[in-house]
Amino acid sequence: MRGWHGRSLRTKIFVAFSALILTVLVATLGLTQLVVGRDATRTLSRELRTTGQVFESLLKERATRLQTNSTLLASDFALKRVFATHFDPASYDPETLASAGLSYRQRIGVQLVWMTDETGKLIAASPANQRVGQSLGGLSPLKEALANQSAAGDVVEVDGKLFQMAAVPVLGPDVIGFLMLGQAIDDPVAAQLKVDTHSDVTFLTPRQVFASSWPVAQRNLWHDFGLQNPALLQIGTERFLSLVVPVRAHLDQPLYALIQGSYDKALTPLHALQWRIAIIGTLAMLGAVLIGVFLAGGITGPVRALVAAMQEVLRGNLRYRTHVDRDDEIGFMARTFNEMVDGLEEREQIKDTFGRFVSRDVAEAVLSGRVPLAGERLEVTILFQDIRGFTALSEKLDPVALLRLLNQFFTEVVAAVETEGGVVKQFTGDGVMALFGVPQARTDHPQRAVRAALGIVSRLEGLNGRLRQDGLEPLQIGVGIHTGEVVAGLIGPDARVEYGVVGEPVNLASRIEALTKDFTATILISKEAAARLGAEFVVGRAALLPVKGKLLPVEVVEILGLAGGHLDARPQLP
Amino acid sequence: MHRVILSILLTLLSALCLAGVVNANPATISGSVTGADGAAIADAVVFVQTPTSAQSATPPPEKSRTMEVVDQVNKAFVPGLRVVVVGTSVRFPNHDQIHHHVYSFSPAKTFELPLYKGEDAAPVVFDKVGVVKLGCNIHDWMSGIILVLPTPHFAVTDGSGRFVLENLPKGTYTLVAWHALSKLKPEETAQPVELDADVPNVNFKLALLPARARPAVHGVRAEP
Repeated sequence: MRGWHGRSLRTKIFVAFSALILTVLVATLGLTQLVVGRDATRTLSRELRTTGQVFESLLKERATRLQTNSTLLASDFALKRVFATHFDPASYDPETLASAGLSYRQRIGVQLVWMTDETGKLIAASPANQRVGQSLGGLSPLKEALANQSAAGDVVEVDGKLFQMAAVPVLGPDVIGFLMLGQAIDDPVAAQLKVDTHSDVTFLTPRQVFASSWPVAQRNLWHDFGLQNPALLQIGTERFLSLVVPVRAHLDQPLYALIQGSYDKALTPLHALQWRIAIIGTLAMLGAVLIGVFLAGGITGPVRALVAAMQEVLRGNLRYRTHVDRDDEIGFMARTFNEMVDGLEEREQIKDTFGRFVSRDVAEAVLSGRVPLAGERLEVTILFQDIRGFTALSEKLDPVALLRLLNQFFTEVVAAVETEGGVVKQFTGDGVMALFGVPQARTDHPQRAVRAALGIVSRLEGLNGRLRQDGLEPLQIGVGIHTGEVVAGLIGPDARVEYGVVGEPVNLASRIEALTKDFTATILISKEAAARLGAEFVVGRAALLPVKGKLLPVEVVEILGLAGGHLDARPQLP
Repeated sequence: MHRVILSILLTLLSALCLAGVVNANPATISGSVTGADGAAIADAVVFVQTPTSAQSATPPPEKSRTMEVVDQVNKAFVPGLRVVVVGTSVRFPNHDQIHHHVYSFSPAKTFELPLYKGEDAAPVVFDKVGVVKLGCNIHDWMSGIILVLPTPHFAVTDGSGRFVLENLPKGTYTLVAWHALSKLKPEETAQPVELDADVPNVNFKLALLPARARPAVHGVRAEP
């Protein structure tokens, strides 16, 4: 999922669209397959059943026609006359009867003509049959014809072949015999039924196939069928739906007609439909991709522009504005962003301006609201710096040149203080007061103050070099440092409030700075500050000196430079 | 007229001779023919059975033969049953306005009167005892019977199944009954009758086959 979350919005929208379309497509195809497939099966089953009914009608119609033909033939007076000869052995003429049978076969296209006397004894047959002379009274359909003295029909097996058979009485005017006509149900009949019904037809009993429209090699045998009706069978490469219809017949086993229709052909419309759906679906997919790209571009383009704007702002360019001309949520977001950057820029300007009068850190602390209004007790380190002999210098120099010199000097001092995270609290004409540990609390504020003092000394050397080149006296300074607890906060009336610290340590730091001149030291720090330093600094003399305003002398330590450093803060003797 | 009376007398004489008993005072045998259920059977023929030898006896001389008629009226044989003594000639006049083609394949008399109208057909002599079934080659439903008997002593039952055999000389007879649908052969119905005076109640019981409808084609019954 991390991979997914990592994707761009455009990819996500595009993938979501594609997935939706694909799901709809697959669901449509699946549903079509299910519904149309089931419908095709149902339709084919219904068609097969209809075929079964048509097929029964055809058989019945054939039987009726056969019976009609038989009745017409039996009405032939010449036949009746020949038939009547069997009453008299002297005139009995079976050859003529048999030849008449042959003539009838040719006349109406039947395969079997039998003639019996009025009791059912076979007296002539065409083609010749060994049953001549035997009684057929027990054989359907003659049995029924004898019983009712009228025409009857049935499907029977004769010498291993299937026949539709009719038995009609020959009247003279009473029944003087029966004429039986048999029409074979064979492969050509099955083939014709296939032409009429568009279904394959097989006549079979559980033991034997009698006739079929299938080639011999592909005929289904009884054991191919399960209990299902209709059943789906694979024949060759094609699937067929098979319906078994019972056929009324008098055989030693039940006779069935197996009607088969191609399942695959029935599904052809479904496949065509599926193809169309697939094509339409693919086009829809392509459309969706285009729409997705367009839509995603419409959404993500402005978002990316916004992101670019944010990055630009992050890099500090507060003048950068994004240009998204829309009325929707994204347009709103862009406008809000621009307003936000307006606010940021304004605040930065305030901070800049503010920082020029107070320290940057203080400005930031005040602007961010980190300074409590009631003030707070903090341990800080206070640094006082002063230029020695400033009065003499101011007398020698032109005031403008003096101011430029001071500004050059203070620039270096401020840089040195701020490098160590200190805050220049105020300029005292020829010196500065700097605080360490406020407004940003730092535990190493004594070290930082000392490093800043050494930094001022170091930078002063560069300035003094330039002063010597100009033929001026180099400046000498004194720095006093003390660490102690003060109250830090905003001082002054609401209209002219300023950030500052109050407390005894501030005075003491100033006093210590004043000691540097008499003690001829550049940097002097109090015992409290010295106690917090490590081995980082080179320490000079230590002394217990009396301080103005204090009853007890104060213990101070001279700082000479950084351990291993080339700095030397020893005062340069004139 | 004299010839007629003479012929009747001759017939009666011959009949008395056949009966084996000659009696100058004729008597009457009457009775009925009923089915197994007691229902009256019409159109049954009761006649005096003659010895077998008598059947093959030479027919009466030409002159003694009578002429009977089976008419064809409204596409039907009228009457449907005609009983004749062997040797009788039967004419088949056609009183319809259409042709008929009368035939019989019966062994007792096989004949054919090809298409004719009116009185054109020659009479047919029925010279053999037996049942002759008549048909028309054109009209399948037309059916008639000529029962050829060796004796003039016969009677046909009326609608109530009654028959009357008159003018029989006294003596001993064997009577038999025949019907077109009877399951019994006539000899199986034989009843000896001692005729001294009139015998009023000779009853025959016959079992009949179901009356068969005329052959039909495709269930449509041909109407005459």
